[in-house]
Amino acid sequence: MKNLLFTIIIIFSISCQKDDVVENPYQLSYPAYFPELKYPLDTNPITKAGFELGKKLFNDPRLSIDNSVACSNCHVKSVAFTDPQHNPSVGVFERSGTRNAPMIANMAFQPEFLLDGGVSHLDFVPVFAIENQREMAESLVHVVTKLNKIDEYRQEFRNAFPNLDTITSPFMLKALSQYMLLLVSDEAKYDHVLQGIAQYTQDELAGKTLFDSKCATCHSGALFTNYGFFNNGLDSSFEDIGRAKITESDSDLGKFKVPSLRNIGRTAPYMHDGRFETLEEVLNHYRFGVKDSPTLAQELRTAGQLGIELSDDEAEKIILFLNTLTDYEFISNPIF
Amino acid sequence: MKKLLLISILASINLYFTSCSKDDNPTDETNGTVEVEFDNIALVDGIQRQLSMVTPGSSDYQYTNALNQKFNINLLRYYISNIVLEGPNGEYFEDKVSVTTTAVKGIYLVDESNHTSSLITLSDVPAGEYNKIKFTVGVDENGVTEGAAGGILDPATCNMFWNWNSGYIALKFEGQSPDSNGGVSGTETLDENSIHGIAYHIGGWRDIEGTAFVYNNKALSLDFDTNAKVKYGEQPHVHIVMDVLTLFNGENDIDFTGNHNVHKPLDGVDMANNIPNAFTFDHIHQ
Ligand code: HEC
Ligand code: HEC
Repeated sequence: MKNLLFTIIIIFSISCQKDDVVENPYQLSYPAYFPELKYPLDTNPITKAGFELGKKLFNDPRLSIDNSVACSNCHVKSVAFTDPQHNPSVGVFERSGTRNAPMIANMAFQPEFLLDGGVSHLDFVPVFAIENQREMAESLVHVVTKLNKIDEYRQEFRNAFPNLDTITSPFMLKALSQYMLLLVSDEAKYDHVLQGIAQYTQDELAGKTLFDSKCATCHSGALFTNYGFFNNGLDSSFEDIGRAKITESDSDLGKFKVPSLRNIGRTAPYMHDGRFETLEEVLNHYRFGVKDSPTLAQELRTAGQLGIELSDDEAEKIILFLNTLTDYEFISNPIF
Repeated sequence: MKKLLLISILASINLYFTSCSKDDNPTDETNGTVEVEFDNIALVDGIQRQLSMVTPGSSDYQYTNALNQKFNINLLRYYISNIVLEGPNGEYFEDKVSVTTTAVKGIYLVDESNHTSSLITLSDVPAGEYNKIKFTVGVDENGVTEGAAGGILDPATCNMFWNWNSGYIALKFEGQSPDSNGGVSGTETLDENSIHGIAYHIGGWRDIEGTAFVYNNKALSLDFDTNAKVKYGEQPHVHIVMDVLTLFNGENDIDFTGNHNVHKPLDGVDMANNIPNAFTFDHIHQ
């Protein structure tokens, strides 16, 4: 009897969501082994029209001051929405940024944004990008004015958000979020193994075991990050002080958000400033290149030794495993 | 048992409807309205004087801080939120905060340059007597975690949004002092080259110990000297004054020769701690 009632309540609550769960590609769906959802979806229900509008905005250089740089200039789909060419990313007027553009995937599960975690809600990240002098150097209010002058956009905003007369910034930001929220990467070989439809090679499996014991304290869980801030030993004095920029605390000097390693085979260059071109270089860093400083993560200084001990063969196997995190469906999905 | 089940089903259906539809509580004919007015003043020699504002760059200095440094004001603006009224007999009214892309309820932006903004109308206040008001100066987590908002929280137009830490400035002050050596940045009214600018953007909605994430919003509670009587058709008018001079004097004296360009939570702690004393209850018109 209790079960019946429970079922009824569930049916009712499901009916709150408009669309069919299975059929609709514009519904946020993800595997059960993903971390919990962080974005409050009820404040921004995703629709096809909202997603399409967000996608268009993401690819539109009119969001920048001189109409030259779109979000997609620095976040390129074929490389999991990172920036393959520039080191670091280049914005308007060929201004060079100070940081390397991170991947945009699985944003719905991320608690804090930017490499220093300064921004705490996905909706607000584009405000930072648009107003950042080194990225798009535009003012949010001017972007909104520009959009209001474009008939096509007025129509598309109305399609996405019924009864909207004048475009305002929150609607633009919600649309961009709808697009970014659906950028879920969960079809890598790693996922297929978990789902029982693929198998690791022996070397990949060995790599996974090594990874789990040497790297997974920070790069943990199904998204390969604990979302913490750590100094992984790149420098002993810091040009970019990372998390300390936000917290102004010496104990955060040189700490950066642990990045997800999904699609890592596609997202070179690596680290906050894009200093490494290949995964071999990254592994060599962890093996031989770790530099000491008061904020260095303790995992990287065991028994008085700096770095992580790995043989050539072990490092190679870890890279083989990391390559199972590439999600080809994600980077070629025509909907994105 | 069957009956019980039916009732529970009905209850859950009811729950379902209420949870999906926006709350619409029809106006109760026994409820009244309370007006709360925030008067920005300067308390000079114990006398409340109406605030005088100057055009940016002006070297006409009306005010003096505790360190005997002269200054004037171009801009003064702050958020008020989380208003609660309480009475001696358990009367209670909460002006609930709700934030969407089109509207913000329960959060107000008082701007000295826009006189209508200083009057807050609380409707549907249950009849009774009230002798206390509580409110927060600033926008708390309940105004931020909904994400991009419209109305007075629209990050494009409110001029109170910090894009690098995605939070709202609680109180913004801009002006000039001959004791400032200039060099202010990121202001609305001041030129980067202005030689005497002073800018205090006080905010911070998160608190992480040992870091520069400091909570600078201030929750205040002010007692009335007489009860505000609320009933249908009556509209008591509560006057609260905010003394600008107390922002600079009091808990912490603000020195224009040093900390005169504040744009981060940590730098704003001193002035934030002066905020509670700057607001006082003044009087009620019944
Ligand atoms: C000039 C290159 C550039 C442009 C243009 C750009 N970004 Fe970025 N993006 C970056 C960089 C660099 C970072 C990391 C910044 C930091 O940590 O300070 C970043 C960070 C992000 C993040 C946070 C990801 C994370 O893991 O925390 C998101 C989301 C994002 N950008 C979305 C956008 C959107 C939406 C736009 C368009 C409105 C945009 N970006 C435009 C370079 C760019
Ligand atoms: C103490 C925590 C920690 C451990 C342990 C750790 N990492 Fe990292 N890793 C980080 C942080 C933090 C960054 C980002 C640094 C930056 O942006 O400058 C990072 C960056 C990376 C990157 C570059 C990601 C990108 O998108 O630029 C790769 C690849 C990587 N780590 C792999 C590994 C591997 C493989 C191991 C184990 C051998 C490992 N990490 C162990 C914290 C850690």
